[in-house]
Amino acid sequence: MRLPFLPVCLFLLLFLLSPDARAQGSFTVSGYVRVSGSNEALIGATVSVPELRIGATSDERGFYTLQLPDGSHTLQVTYIGYEPTTRPILVDGQNHTVNLLVAPASSKLREVIVEANSLRQKLNNNLMSVETLTTQEAKLLPAIFGEVDLIKTLQLKPGVQSGGEGSSGLYVRGGGPDQNLVLLDDAVVYNASHLFGFFSVFNPDAVESVELYKGGFPAQFGGRLSSVVDVKLNNGNNERIRASGGLGLIASRLTVDGPLIKDKASFIVSGRRTYFDIFTRQINRIQEGKEDFSPIPDYYFYDLNGKVNYKLGEKDELFLSGYFGRDFFGFNDEDFQFRFDWGNKVGALRWQHRFNPRFQVNTTFTGSSYQYNINNKIDVFSFNLSSDIRDLGLKTDFNLVLDKGHTLAFGAMATRHAFTIGRLNFDSDDNRLAFKAGSDYDATEAAVYVSDDFQINSRFSLNYGLRLSAFGSGGKTYTALEPRASGKYNLTVNTALKGSYASMMQYIHLVANSGASLPTDIWYPSNDYVKPQRSQQVAAGISHLFADGRYMVTNELYYKWMHRQIDFRDGANLFVNDKLEEEFLFGKGESYGNEVYLEKIKGRTTGWIGYTLSWTYRQFDGINEGRRFPTRYDRRHDLSVVLLHKLSKRIHLTGAFVYSSGNAYSLPVARFAFQDVEGKNATVVPVYNDRNSFRLDAFHRLDLGLVLKLNSKFGESDLMFNAYNTYNRRNPYFVYFEQVKDKESDETLGFRAKQVSLFPVIPSVTYNFKF
Amino acid sequence: MKIKHTLYTLIPLLLLLLACDMEQEVEINLPPHQSQLVVECYLEPGKPLRAVVLESVSYFSNPQLPIVPDAEVFLTHKGRTVKLAFSPFQDRVSGKYFTHRNNKPLDLKAGDVVTIEVKDKKDRRVTGSTTILKRVPIEAVEWKFNEKGKAYLLTSFQDDPDAENYYRYMTHRDSLSRGTSRDFVSSDQLTNGKRISYGSAYDFEKGDTLIVSLYHIEKDYYNFLNSISDAKNANGNPFAQPSRIVSSVQGGIGIFTNLAYERKTVIIQ
Repeated sequence: MRLPFLPVCLFLLLFLLSPDARAQGSFTVSGYVRVSGSNEALIGATVSVPELRIGATSDERGFYTLQLPDGSHTLQVTYIGYEPTTRPILVDGQNHTVNLLVAPASSKLREVIVEANSLRQKLNNNLMSVETLTTQEAKLLPAIFGEVDLIKTLQLKPGVQSGGEGSSGLYVRGGGPDQNLVLLDDAVVYNASHLFGFFSVFNPDAVESVELYKGGFPAQFGGRLSSVVDVKLNNGNNERIRASGGLGLIASRLTVDGPLIKDKASFIVSGRRTYFDIFTRQINRIQEGKEDFSPIPDYYFYDLNGKVNYKLGEKDELFLSGYFGRDFFGFNDEDFQFRFDWGNKVGALRWQHRFNPRFQVNTTFTGSSYQYNINNKIDVFSFNLSSDIRDLGLKTDFNLVLDKGHTLAFGAMATRHAFTIGRLNFDSDDNRLAFKAGSDYDATEAAVYVSDDFQINSRFSLNYGLRLSAFGSGGKTYTALEPRASGKYNLTVNTALKGSYASMMQYIHLVANSGASLPTDIWYPSNDYVKPQRSQQVAAGISHLFADGRYMVTNELYYKWMHRQIDFRDGANLFVNDKLEEEFLFGKGESYGNEVYLEKIKGRTTGWIGYTLSWTYRQFDGINEGRRFPTRYDRRHDLSVVLLHKLSKRIHLTGAFVYSSGNAYSLPVARFAFQDVEGKNATVVPVYNDRNSFRLDAFHRLDLGLVLKLNSKFGESDLMFNAYNTYNRRNPYFVYFEQVKDKESDETLGFRAKQVSLFPVIPSVTYNFKF
Repeated sequence: MKIKHTLYTLIPLLLLLLACDMEQEVEINLPPHQSQLVVECYLEPGKPLRAVVLESVSYFSNPQLPIVPDAEVFLTHKGRTVKLAFSPFQDRVSGKYFTHRNNKPLDLKAGDVVTIEVKDKKDRRVTGSTTILKRVPIEAVEWKFNEKGKAYLLTSFQDDPDAENYYRYMTHRDSLSRGTSRDFVSSDQLTNGKRISYGSAYDFEKGDTLIVSLYHIEKDYYNFLNSISDAKNANGNPFAQPSRIVSSVQGGIGIFTNLAYERKTVIIQ
């Protein structure tokens, strides 16, 4: 492998460059941001010195670090639901430790005071194409069945498309749902959805915040082409045991957190479960024995999240996080038993060590698995199909604050993957019908990276880095160098220009032929035949603060090239096939567009408007006769308007309106009569031509919500009323063609097109409590 | 308890909403379609030669059968070409319609190659070939009753380990004209060289007459039947990818193959 000469030279040159005089006399100011009263660490709080346009975000421990010049300054802390806090400090030629306490906002409805990650901090961030979401934000927005979903809230951000009505799949800047690296406390989550993609696996009560990187990826991230979804779990309360939860239309949840050892260890445990099955079983029991009644299949899902953090000393802390979730779908009658279950198991143990306030290391051991099982028994025949992926990983990440405006991040990771693909057992009671299929693969993925966050002067800063990744499976090894860079130039105090470049590799691939996220989608390693996917993305943008910093408008242009994209030949057998690699097709893709984002995060009315104009295509020799075609989720226009209004101390109104161009869709253009051999009836066969050459009608929907805080003796509680699809729009889910037949003679009279919609208006109410 | 009652009240409301008619007829403007010849021709040793030549039509066009009167069909076997005359008729036994026929069978042996050529006055030309396959004997048709008096059927045969084989299996109850109770295609990818058994559910009762057919089919026919099935399933399944028809002929749509099958009739006792 040859190292790209130019990026390497650029990296070294920039690192050796001397910054201007202002940065040379800087000293470290660091400390913890905690909540007064509970002493709970605040993750993601913004600590800044506004007059210097310098800021930092507190990490998982609530720890922050700033580089400040000599002199008197004012530190400012902002965070959702907490009073903005300021603290004067004198930097007098030495490093300082300053711990900051912030108080919860006085209003009962404190969650709606959206101040985290202030717009100025966002403006001055070197990185671009990053969306941050806190649970408090997501919890206020109206949601289908009242089930708050962080991933679906991310779909309201520009550049992010949903897979379809109700789907929790993410399609980021033209990437597929398999091209998102979903991390839960640094461990990979392979299938982040419940109920065939309608809900994400993240319980909002257990999650602190989510960051979505759409481009300009920092060098520590790799392994997927299109996005990084970095989910951080709550650390738990340090002062007292608390409980919170909610009763919803389809699910309930309960969270307990508190100290294990005062000021040393805390925990959080959170669980939720749906209860469709309780009602459907009742209906089945009542209807049992009735003629023409088909029992309703059983379905439920549950998930459990837990996290413990333990302070070993002043410089060391351990974090143990875990997730376990499962979906069950089953159907039973006398002769037919069907059971389908799937889910993720995720664990992460992280050791954080601070050598000094300027140098720290995080070492994380992770384990992750995703598995599905289908068990089917028909009379004497049994059928079992399962697939899984199992990971064990170790990574270490160093962060070193240097003089001269440099902050270095460097580290290494290694993951051992084990794949079981299409494990089939077919048998009969007398063993006369028995056969097996399936394949097992192992793979090792590793990477080292280094990056430098370089404040060149008060206007110009850069974040640039290199990632060297490697992957081996079946005797074949791939290596690649992935250069990354993003920069910011402040035209004025309120206006910043930003640009970024990122090269990404993806070594494992999702075997899915549906275009939707299904539990039966399986992961497959790169090998001799299947080469890794690669993407390159450039983006340029401008951000402008106005109206005293209450509003920020951002415009970003991007272009993404995707190489060695994967699809499957028509009629591919993806389930029971020991030669799966023969079903792959390889091609290329591109996506480009413009995203406009207007946001307001202070005042009684907050929210955002996001608009994306984009194009996304794929091209494969074996599909569409080699011609380029739009992907299903290629939507020319995509608009989201999200508003939160504080009507009074007890009542908040929320609304979300979405509009998007119709999905690209394939429909048959012609038909022919197929007579077949003796013993078969003639049928009509559809003829498909160009892939995705039709457009469904545009999708639009208005969701409204009302949050009513209740007076409660035991703590806090509220009722959330939601109306999903308020004006009952029949949005297209899919279209099909059918024969129109004479009921008496069964003669075909003609053909017509039918459009199927999924959800009408859905009202819901959720009761939330906390004590 | 109040919350519980509220939830129980809301559930029927929710089910009512979900029961709303979520389908509606829509108008779709299809692009102009250039018709292609559609050919179906199955050869059987010792049987008269039959073919159906139709054409594909735009999806919403008139449902009448689009026959092509000027189409000519030629079969070539061992250097001799025979023409199938345009003479539409319905076979009284099978109920099948044919557009072209020649009542003189070809002397077909396993391994023989036969080619087809279909052309019409619009200069459309379809060609294809088939290699005559050996029949695969059905070794056993067995059944087994459960305690409720229902029986399942087991059909067994031996797969040839030296060849890549494809099969089509059908069962009919009482008569071939009443539609199949079971019909699928399979390859020997997972069962090469083994004794293969195809089963059924407990679908049958004492006295049932069952017709079991085991076709030994060409790979092209296997692919064609799968693509037909995929294309039908894609219409109405939002998760399916659209599938093009994988024809065994060139220049049009369709299948030209031979039928090498064993058929047994059993009465469940």
